Amino acid sequence: MPTRLKKLESLLYRLITAPSGVAEGLAAERELGADGLDAIVRGDDRLSAQERVDIYANMYFYRILDALKEDFPATVAVLGGDSFHNVVTGYILEYPPTEPSLLYCGRYLAAYLRDHPLRDGASFVADLAQLERAILEVFHGPDAAALGPDSLRAIAPTDWPAIKLAVHPSAQILALDWRVSELPRAVEENRAWKPAERGAAKVLVWRRDARVFHRDLERVEAEALEEVARGARFAQICDVVAGHADVENPVTAMNQMLARWLSDGLLVRG
Amino acid sequence: MKRSDFPILGYGVGLRRQHYSHVLETRPKVDWFEVISENFMVAGGRPLEVLEGVRANYPIAMHGVSMSIGSTDPIRRSYLRQLRELARRFEPAWISDHLCWTGVGGRNLHDLIPLPYTEEAIRHVVARIRRVQDALARPLLIENVSSYMAFADSTMTEWEFISAIATEADCGILLDINNIFVSAFNHRFDANEYIDAVPAERVVQYHLAGHSDHGTYLLDTHDHPVRDEVWALYERAARRFGAVSALVEWDDHIPEFAELAQTAERARTIFGATVQTAKHETLKNRDADSTEKTGKSALSADHRA
Repeated sequence: MPTRLKKLESLLYRLITAPSGVAEGLAAERELGADGLDAIVRGDDRLSAQERVDIYANMYFYRILDALKEDFPATVAVLGGDSFHNVVTGYILEYPPTEPSLLYCGRYLAAYLRDHPLRDGASFVADLAQLERAILEVFHGPDAAALGPDSLRAIAPTDWPAIKLAVHPSAQILALDWRVSELPRAVEENRAWKPAERGAAKVLVWRRDARVFHRDLERVEAEALEEVARGARFAQICDVVAGHADVENPVTAMNQMLARWLSDGLLVRG
Repeated sequence: MKRSDFPILGYGVGLRRQHYSHVLETRPKVDWFEVISENFMVAGGRPLEVLEGVRANYPIAMHGVSMSIGSTDPIRRSYLRQLRELARRFEPAWISDHLCWTGVGGRNLHDLIPLPYTEEAIRHVVARIRRVQDALARPLLIENVSSYMAFADSTMTEWEFISAIATEADCGILLDINNIFVSAFNHRFDANEYIDAVPAERVVQYHLAGHSDHGTYLLDTHDHPVRDEVWALYERAARRFGAVSALVEWDDHIPEFAELAQTAERARTIFGATVQTAKHETLKNRDADSTEKTGKSALSADHRA
């Protein structure tokens, strides 16, 4: 093990990610000798050793901030640029990046926001961040051949009860406490947005032809789709639909849902 | 590894999201594309679909930013597995990454942090490159990074460091001309000396890019056109290394694709002119030799040719 190199890399990591900057990070380094950082990093008349490490510290923070701004545009719009900046400052201290790709930087942002004091002014913001994160994950989610509207016609009527379908592996169904679905669309289209209203919502996020869509699900559709995702047979899914008091005609409802799922490219072979 | 093991792809452009549709729909005239490996190390969706489309029409090379070859953390097996799978699927002309470290202790800085130029670092990096090359079953290209700090521990120059590593690990070099210029300014060394010292037989690719001038230092931002001084350095490299695949990188304030393609064409033109000049000089020198020996003039020799 290259011990000197390991020591150097660990020190630089601590300094670059120091919560209050390189200077404070240096003050906390008890093992540095009298020459401090100058004994490790060469400074000159243009830039001191500390200023040179500062360049990396700034790049570290701003690269992650920029990536998160890009991944969470509606969350940025709701919180405001300055507040989002402050959120990210705390967030990367609690959830420092561990993965090789910046794509994963924001995967805990929604969880972090749930307990953040800044969400007081916009308490739906954690749900909004969860939705934006899901949109990104669905965009990069696994591929699978979606069943088209014609693909189920060959199934004999007697076989229908036993068939198993599956939800496309890239799709997600989110259980949220706020009605945030409209917000990402409003921000993307540069329209004025309204704060989300409180209310339990199941939001489907799915991909069709490489584009990501999302919509709120009615309760019956959410439950039926969750049955599909659980690997239920078609007969069991129909039972879920038929068991809903607010469904007047279960056969029509099931047919309509099935047609929509197929046209959305949401189903794959089970 | 020999340079001739690799194809000469010509003059290419870094594939960026802003140009996906343009590239797929218009198939612009450019020799090849370089893709950032990590952007395609995903389960599925649009990025991989785009890469399928691009690969159907162009050669590609895969360029990574997170291998962290200089880190003292273990090499991530999952990263190598994903990289190998991506390479198997898209058959790049080669795979490259940076001579640096990007994280330690299981954490990632998402930045290219330089190494001290020491024997210890050489031994460490060489062993890791060999392991990576074994895992990928192909040679790796390592790229010199722009740097803003240098270490008191260093016992050699950057070009001695990268040359020693490339030779001992038997890997190729992706020579970033802009990075040499940026680091030369930041650390007050002679960029020409760097170009003149790198082992020619290992230089497989160039990067050309722009940078920002912050007064006391230059920052490798890839958000400006290639500066004249960097073109001059490229010309020097072209004279020394001959035909080498060149690629234009642009990562921020990305212009229309046409501007990137024009920059790649400029690299081609400069190389062409350099070769012509070199040929002319060679002929002149040969003729001078011949005149000395036979008494015939250089002009008559030119006409014969």
